[in-house]
Amino acid sequence: DALLGCHRSYRSRPTHGIGKFKYLLPKEVPKRKKEKVQMKEISAGTEYQYGDINIQMTSYDLCLVEHFAQYVHRLCNRLSIRVNESYAMPTKTNEVLFLEERGSKMQLDAVLTTHQRVVQIRGLSSTFAPILLEVIQSNQPEGVHLLMKQHTEADFKSRLKSRPELEELLAEMS
Amino acid sequence: AESTTPESVSPQALCYFSSCSSWLPPRVPPRGSHWQSSLLECRTSLPVRAQPKKKKKVDVKKEQAQKERMKKKLRKLEKAAPELIPIEDFIPPLKYSESNRVRSLPSLSPEESERRVLLLKKWCFFKQKQDEAEKKAIKALVESQQEALQELRLESEELYQAAILRDEGLFPFERDGPTHTPPLPGYDPPEGKCIDITKVYTQ
Repeated sequence: DALLGCHRSYRSRPTHGIGKFKYLLPKEVPKRKKEKVQMKEISAGTEYQYGDINIQMTSYDLCLVEHFAQYVHRLCNRLSIRVNESYAMPTKTNEVLFLEERGSKMQLDAVLTTHQRVVQIRGLSSTFAPILLEVIQSNQPEGVHLLMKQHTEADFKSRLKSRPELEELLAEMS
Repeated sequence: AESTTPESVSPQALCYFSSCSSWLPPRVPPRGSHWQSSLLECRTSLPVRAQPKKKKKVDVKKEQAQKERMKKKLRKLEKAAPELIPIEDFIPPLKYSESNRVRSLPSLSPEESERRVLLLKKWCFFKQKQDEAEKKAIKALVESQQEALQELRLESEELYQAAILRDEGLFPFERDGPTHTPPLPGYDPPEGKCIDITKVYTQ
């Protein structure tokens, strides 16, 4: 096997590099592996700075909440506040039924979809936080519910699909 | 459920029968004995008095094998990365992609298009003024805040340090958006309920 495995090509000889062909083929782009969804580290922040903060905007109106999220994102960019992520939470659908005046039957009134957008910021200084809050509040459109809270692992987990089989197995094991 | 055919009735089960009257010939019906209820599986039967002791070694091995299988399954499931729930907002509904309808807009007169362009310019100018005013306001706020902190520092160092610290009570902060009209006094909403029909995705 050692005899078969060696490729001896003297660099001085004219036969050097004989048999090479890869340089003739077009360059292959390396295949990108699917990026695994992993939770990024949640920073706690120092005494003078807040850690990861989620600005969650919820509304029934999709366009309004999208535009407001874009506005908040651009505002943070302009004020040089680091924006970690800007994502959308899964949509929730609600069926609203109301009781008819004369009758016991529930009648379908509407099907409402609740949309939520999240802008995650990091390193907000304690002196600037009230100013930012003031600006966002003054530009809050009607019908958009604003919520600002610290980012936790539970928030991240709520974005992932539930795995009932894994949970069952874990419950069985323990 | 295991069908209790004569072949599947285990030799163990056969020796459970205490009285000959209850023992049925193998060719007949599914129910082996009156001790064996049809709901239970073949091997499980109602407690019989003369039950020979089960061999412990076989059980332990079976349990170990079962545990190994479960562990393997767990490892396989855990290897698969968790997926994000797909967001329905970003997936256009199929009905809009199937039809090839095209909207035919009426052509605009030059005066109309002129008017629209001028309106757009006025709007841009208005928004620019608004944006500039906002930037100015933020700048003024920051400056006044810094000035106040400077003065406080000159007054007393410890108060300044306490003022710089972050406010733990600030978050979580919640606020509802402003409403178009104030709430009607004495409004009696109809009774009803909300049902959550969000699609649940599982991996």
